[in-house]
Amino acid sequence: MNYFVGIDIGSTAIKVALVNQDSQLVGVHVTDSGSLFHKNAKAALQVLLDKHNLQREQVKYLIATGYGRKLFKEADDSISEITANAIGAHEAGRAHGGVRTIINIGGQDSKAIQIDDQGTVTNFAMNDKCAAGTGRFLDVAAANLDIDLEQLGVYHFNGTGAPLTINSTCTVFAESEIIGLLANGHGKEEIVAGIHYSIAKRTLRLVKRVGIEDRIYFDGGPALNKGLVAALQDELQRELVVPEHPQTTTAFGAAILARGEWLADQVADSESRERLDARRGLRAEKGAQVVVVAAPKKLTADVD
Amino acid sequence: MTVIPIKPTVEAAAFNRSRQAREAEVMLDKLIDDFDENPKSMQYFYDLFRTVYIHGVTLPRPAGPQVGMTCIQAPEELIYAVGATPIRLCNGAYHYDQIGADFMPAKSCSLVKATLGRLHDQEKGVPRIGKLDMIVNPSTCDQKKKAGVMMEDMGYPVHDLEFPNVKESEASRVYWQRSVRDFAVRLQQLTGKKLTRNRLNAAMARTRRAQIAFRALHNLRRKAPSLVLGKDIFLVTNAYFFDDLERWTAATEALVEELKQRDADGFNAAQKKAPRILFTGSPPIFPNLKLPLLIEEAGGVVVADETCSANRMLYDMPVVDEWMVNHMIDSLADHYLKPCTCPIFTRNDDRRRRLIDLARDFNADGVVYQAFSGCQVYEMEQRSVAKTLNDAGIPMLYIETDYSPDDMGQLTTRIEAFLESIKARKRQAKVS
Repeated sequence: MNYFVGIDIGSTAIKVALVNQDSQLVGVHVTDSGSLFHKNAKAALQVLLDKHNLQREQVKYLIATGYGRKLFKEADDSISEITANAIGAHEAGRAHGGVRTIINIGGQDSKAIQIDDQGTVTNFAMNDKCAAGTGRFLDVAAANLDIDLEQLGVYHFNGTGAPLTINSTCTVFAESEIIGLLANGHGKEEIVAGIHYSIAKRTLRLVKRVGIEDRIYFDGGPALNKGLVAALQDELQRELVVPEHPQTTTAFGAAILARGEWLADQVADSESRERLDARRGLRAEKGAQVVVVAAPKKLTADVD
Repeated sequence: MTVIPIKPTVEAAAFNRSRQAREAEVMLDKLIDDFDENPKSMQYFYDLFRTVYIHGVTLPRPAGPQVGMTCIQAPEELIYAVGATPIRLCNGAYHYDQIGADFMPAKSCSLVKATLGRLHDQEKGVPRIGKLDMIVNPSTCDQKKKAGVMMEDMGYPVHDLEFPNVKESEASRVYWQRSVRDFAVRLQQLTGKKLTRNRLNAAMARTRRAQIAFRALHNLRRKAPSLVLGKDIFLVTNAYFFDDLERWTAATEALVEELKQRDADGFNAAQKKAPRILFTGSPPIFPNLKLPLLIEEAGGVVVADETCSANRMLYDMPVVDEWMVNHMIDSLADHYLKPCTCPIFTRNDDRRRRLIDLARDFNADGVVYQAFSGCQVYEMEQRSVAKTLNDAGIPMLYIETDYSPDDMGQLTTRIEAFLESIKARKRQAKVS
């Protein structure tokens, strides 16, 4: 069996996705980026391969994406995380009847992407030079409130009062605003909900810039936060498609692309062979059909 | 071709360590070394920028008054006609941008801040041209208007060239003609030379030769595959800001000849499937060529632009011949007002039309729209331009940025994603 890897070297975490020849997601691995992107990425890939008892040689094609993509020289190719995210969400979204709009909130940026029915990016917008409305914002807020990042979702739903308003869009100013709210005796739950709504409002503006079409797919680490998902659904007035492993959609997209590239290479190879054999036509058509990828089952799950 | 002497004096060595010179050197080295097969005629421009920006050599200037221009809308023919020499002051250095932040609000346009920052450094500001006898400041955008006052406070004699905010009305046309006449009077006072028909005609003949060379260069960029990269063209047009008119023209003509030869040889300056990009918005000025550089490093090619630092500069050639010199000035004024597509105008339909025309004529696959943070008029026109282009089926990438290099990583991602989406679209179009 041939395998394909997408490796997403993000600002906060490195995500590796392993896909088999039928586009099925075999496994994922997520680890902190740290400061040694290249070393950590290599280690993460090895961990994933070991977990599935695979040799490096069985990985036929590897595509790197994310901020650190250029540092990973072992990759066969690299691609921007926007394109990789689009491909991943398009693939994963098939199980939900297809998605056309993607919201991605990452460690230090947030993106809204619009895709067509082929998964091609038609429009996208990114936050400008600022951590507001990104995963970092949640990090800082959780540290202020002395809550584990994973607990933010729980706090969101446990509030008794209305969510408080966090007005500051700047992460640093929001920090002092949160401290101020705490000093005024407000509950952590209402503050957490307020933070989620503040991010949701910012994200809404970003999505409006590209235009909302059809189902919206929400991925990136912060999509694990159920409270943020609820706030976003409330602001968007739409249901979101959130995958089971939202962090790895981009890596998955890169892996799917790796598979496509490898198959295209095979087709090109066989085509040139055919040309040599002067037997064109039927086989080339068959070869072209192989590129059509089957929908993976494992990656997605509806939001409850 | 004249080679500019590089004199590595002790002073130049000290200068070489300055932040401004380092910034220029990093950019220039990238523009040259990151690309194979740069045109040989570009060497003149590479040397020019190295001499002026990195070695800090004072350029030899023609005798007579030096007139700084803060905008493309000042008719340079008038300046030449009275025996003065124009120099475009618009600056692209982040170093000067930071100095300029002392005068302007931090959130204002990088270009205006950098221009002020450079003027603040009167002695050693780069490009070095010695003493400025006058600055002509067309009252286009709000920031430049107020910057003019600050230049006055710095001790420069400033002439406010009043510029209308509406293009189509007859009133604004007459107003602008009056304003240009006033400018001509001020220039004659400055040099003590009378503006005559002969002198104006002679000046226009000089700039016309430059414009013909530039137009030839511009038209060669229509060719597919591309003969030259956009980053080189921006250097050529940036050099026009401060270079000697005849020397610049000769160097540009040499480049045109080389590109014609490239065309005959079937040369391709870009990758085989390089997306062809039309560049618009806030002007790239050396050393802030980061966006054109990123586009071409990512495998695109800038085939045309609609900016006031390049394409708009030499768009309409004035060939005016009237009986009276005042009427010549009026016609010249028209030649500056009518083709202008600056976003400071109330309506700016011409800009959208020109973009559509350029995209079609130059076979552009997409448009990259740069707006400097704080340049509100370009930021505001973004929506209408995006709509016009999208209606015409041309994708547009809008980028808000400034002179600081800290967003290069983010911008790379956006530009690569944009180019990838263009390639994917082309593939799809081919399949279907």
